[in-house]
Amino acid sequence: MQETSPPPHQPNVPAVAPPAPSPSAPIGADEVTLLIDDRPVVAKKGTTVLQAAENAGVLVPHYCYHPGLSIAGNCRMCLVEIEKMPKLQIACATPVAQGMAVRTGNDRVRDARAGIQEFLLINHPLDCPICDQAGECRLQAYEAAYGLGYSRFHEEKVHFPKRYDIGGKVVFDAERCIRCTRCIRFCDEVSQSHELALFQRGDHAIIGTFPGRPLDNPYSGCTVDVCPVGALTWKPFRFKARVWFLKNVPSVCVGCARGCNVDVATFRNRIHRLTPRANVDVNRYWMCDAGRQSYSPLYERPRFERPILRGGPGAVGPEEDTSSMDTGSLWDLALDRSADLLRGVAKAHGPKALAAIVSARLTVEDLYLAKRVLGELLGVPRMAVPPHEEGEDDHLLVRRDKTPNARGASALGIGAPSAGRVKEILEDAAAGNVRGLVVVGEDLTEFPGFSEALFQKLDVLVVIDWWQSPTADRAQVALPACGYGEFEGTVVNFQERVQRLRVGLDPRGEADPTWRILRDLGRRFGLPSEYATSRAVFDDVAAKVPAFAGLSYRALGDRGAPMPAGAARDAGASPPGA
Amino acid sequence: MAFEPVLTRNIHRPDSGTIEGYLAAGGYQGLRRALKEFSPGQLVEEVKNSGLRGRGGAGFPTGMKWGFLPKTRDKPRYLCVNADESEPGTFKDRLLIEKDPHLVLEGIILSAYAIESSLAFFYIRGEFHEGYRIFQKAVQEARAKGFLGTNILGSGFSLDIIIYRGAGAYICGEETALLESLEGKRGYPRIKPPFPAIVGLYGCPTIINNVETLANVTLIAERGAAWYASIGRPPKNTGPKLFCLSGHVKRPGVFEAPLGVPFLELLNEHAGGMQHSDRPLKAAVPGGSSMKILPASKCDVLMDFDALAAAGTSLGSAGGIVMDTSTCMVTALLNVARFYAHESCGQCTPCREGTGWFVKILSRLERGDGRPEDVGLLTGIASNIEGNTVCPFGEAIAWPVESYVRVFREEFEEHAKRKACPMKTTAVR
Repeated sequence: MQETSPPPHQPNVPAVAPPAPSPSAPIGADEVTLLIDDRPVVAKKGTTVLQAAENAGVLVPHYCYHPGLSIAGNCRMCLVEIEKMPKLQIACATPVAQGMAVRTGNDRVRDARAGIQEFLLINHPLDCPICDQAGECRLQAYEAAYGLGYSRFHEEKVHFPKRYDIGGKVVFDAERCIRCTRCIRFCDEVSQSHELALFQRGDHAIIGTFPGRPLDNPYSGCTVDVCPVGALTWKPFRFKARVWFLKNVPSVCVGCARGCNVDVATFRNRIHRLTPRANVDVNRYWMCDAGRQSYSPLYERPRFERPILRGGPGAVGPEEDTSSMDTGSLWDLALDRSADLLRGVAKAHGPKALAAIVSARLTVEDLYLAKRVLGELLGVPRMAVPPHEEGEDDHLLVRRDKTPNARGASALGIGAPSAGRVKEILEDAAAGNVRGLVVVGEDLTEFPGFSEALFQKLDVLVVIDWWQSPTADRAQVALPACGYGEFEGTVVNFQERVQRLRVGLDPRGEADPTWRILRDLGRRFGLPSEYATSRAVFDDVAAKVPAFAGLSYRALGDRGAPMPAGAARDAGASPPGA
Repeated sequence: MAFEPVLTRNIHRPDSGTIEGYLAAGGYQGLRRALKEFSPGQLVEEVKNSGLRGRGGAGFPTGMKWGFLPKTRDKPRYLCVNADESEPGTFKDRLLIEKDPHLVLEGIILSAYAIESSLAFFYIRGEFHEGYRIFQKAVQEARAKGFLGTNILGSGFSLDIIIYRGAGAYICGEETALLESLEGKRGYPRIKPPFPAIVGLYGCPTIINNVETLANVTLIAERGAAWYASIGRPPKNTGPKLFCLSGHVKRPGVFEAPLGVPFLELLNEHAGGMQHSDRPLKAAVPGGSSMKILPASKCDVLMDFDALAAAGTSLGSAGGIVMDTSTCMVTALLNVARFYAHESCGQCTPCREGTGWFVKILSRLERGDGRPEDVGLLTGIASNIEGNTVCPFGEAIAWPVESYVRVFREEFEEHAKRKACPMKTTAVR
């Protein structure tokens, strides 16, 4: 998504006028007072007129300016009038000064803007009906707000390549391009991969790549985000949905331990794209291509829509026919069966024969209830969190740790992800010492040292997962959990920042959020608390776990909050990194 | 007092261009004198007192420009010589470079001394291969004679020069585009401020001067500010000036005259008058193709910065273009527009899109597909460009369009009305 909200059709009318500082109010040494459209505004020295205006609620339209990129000053859309300066000045590159008087919407400025709009559109194909950007396109929005509304251009337009495959996942339409160079600056300054450049001159100038070096960096999708028009489009999203049908839900990417803030865009109960949501403390304005695609397993892996029962204990039987049962009874039966089977193992072999493997991909709420229900109430003595590491931390966002909530698992006292502890459990299971295993959100067959013999040795395997994994296929009871976008909760990123995941989709079939499955299982073991919502679970976490003290969904808001300083944390947790 | 040509004094010598010839004509005496008699600050003062204004086009006082350098010395200072002369109608710097390179070189050494720079860059237009070769030889000669290098003439001042050939882009004559190009980047003008005197080449304080400007510095060092300031129309338009005249004249060329010489004197005496006796003057652009056009009735003007500004145009690079009555103004403007559309760097919106649009409209008008509203549209586009671009290139196309259409409006309207060029018997398609 864009870094600022689309312009209002009634330009420069702030939704909520911030309190005007009184002229006599003392200002800091590093601040100046200026007049923006006759309103006194206090701004820090060194900020630009555009930023100062935006902070004061006055939108100065712009294409090439992006808060995460260097100033290019080429689109000329942000021209404003500044008293004592003979020419209009670009607000994006003009620093504020004491006593400066700026006009952002008088006739002269509006004429200039209309002129810029006209220039940008004369060679633009105006193919909005077939353009993915339509609906979130600055050319459209600004034309409505500032344009002439008609064209004085009666010539042949300059023609350029269309549908040009500029790299792995991005398609370039050079005719729609307005040469704002945001994408070039992104590749130079942020991804630092330098694939893009401007070639040719004048109205034949065109963005391009160098021979043999397509646009193919781990952040290539950000070039699509920063493109203010429809010139760069994201292959997986091309022609999938008109953007005005999309519902954007502020959430967090769960592709790695960064937890980039995202908007989850859904339409007809399907995720169509993830786009980065600005959060200067976490991901600034960016996200990686892998994260952008992190929802795709939701549509690639097999889901199961109802709890699956396969007899037991002992050898896994055939799937029982539960088609005649209604949802409530089936869930009751599945949870009762799970509780009975696990109790049976404890009774027959002692609680030491029980173990659990829980995922760091689960939320704080899920893990908290896993700890309470499995650890405290059922008495499972060993609970391991498998690590999922791949590659290295990069210079920008990508983390080697591919789980979104490893810090949460540590902070809750379950322990940091540990391959050793998982291996121990699996070896003990293969040796017949662990007879009952609960697996939440993990597929054992992925782990090194996994052998088929393991499943045969287990008396009881209960699996809670959002997809029908090979592990779920071998469980006496498999309980369908919600997939990404279907549940809410919180995760703790590698900086120990707690952030909220939110719901954008209805659950698939009869799937339930993991925390609710664990809660309902817990009821079978005497879980006293009601835990009506994940919010209630989190409030309990905040009340009981010092690392979460003082936090609430409200306090986390859209951008999350760091864990309280000095809170007791897992001994294995290292201090927050950059 | 008769005007004595000084900038062109050596160009007709048989040994012009060699250091021997230059020394024989008294060359490098100004440098000797200045290094001995002036501190850098005093030399800056001397140039200020001379009233010298930049000869590249904008006419900014040279001494004042030098004075903008920051007083702190935490970074090196650079002198860049703008030898990217590419304004249509202008060929004066080329003459100096090819015919009297040491006059320019001496000015460079003097100016570098004045601004306390020990490294100068000579950015020469790529097409000037001959000039490049000649100037390179001049630098070698000067180095061999001790006018360049370390401890020049025992003064303790050291200077080296790097010659850099441009790749043939008009825009690289814009001083900040020149810096970008010199840094090895695409020749895109920078956003100003900061100005190059504060943040210039490689982020260091940089002075960019035109070739002719620097040649004038040699003369000032040689003969003093008072002598210099007595030439021309003091106090604001002093010194000798090279004027180029081309187009429908008998003897096109570069002519030296004091600033403030009447245009008609240049035309009739220096350039030999109109090319064809039966085709009188129709219009002239006194300052190079990017400046505003004057109709014949307004050509009785003095050729200096302020007189031409008062006449509604500019001295620019003093590249006078003369047109007689056979000239079709739409064709002439189309020719100008084609050049600017081709040379627009494409960085900022108004210039990138507007220049090409001009060409399309003018081509249509000329070939007989014009519409009455095209005439107003041309000036409308020009006013949307003017003042709204990153660099003065915007004005360089907006001014000719605005002025050609304003001055010769009937002719443009006639093209649209007749659906043909009235200067030709039939429309060219």
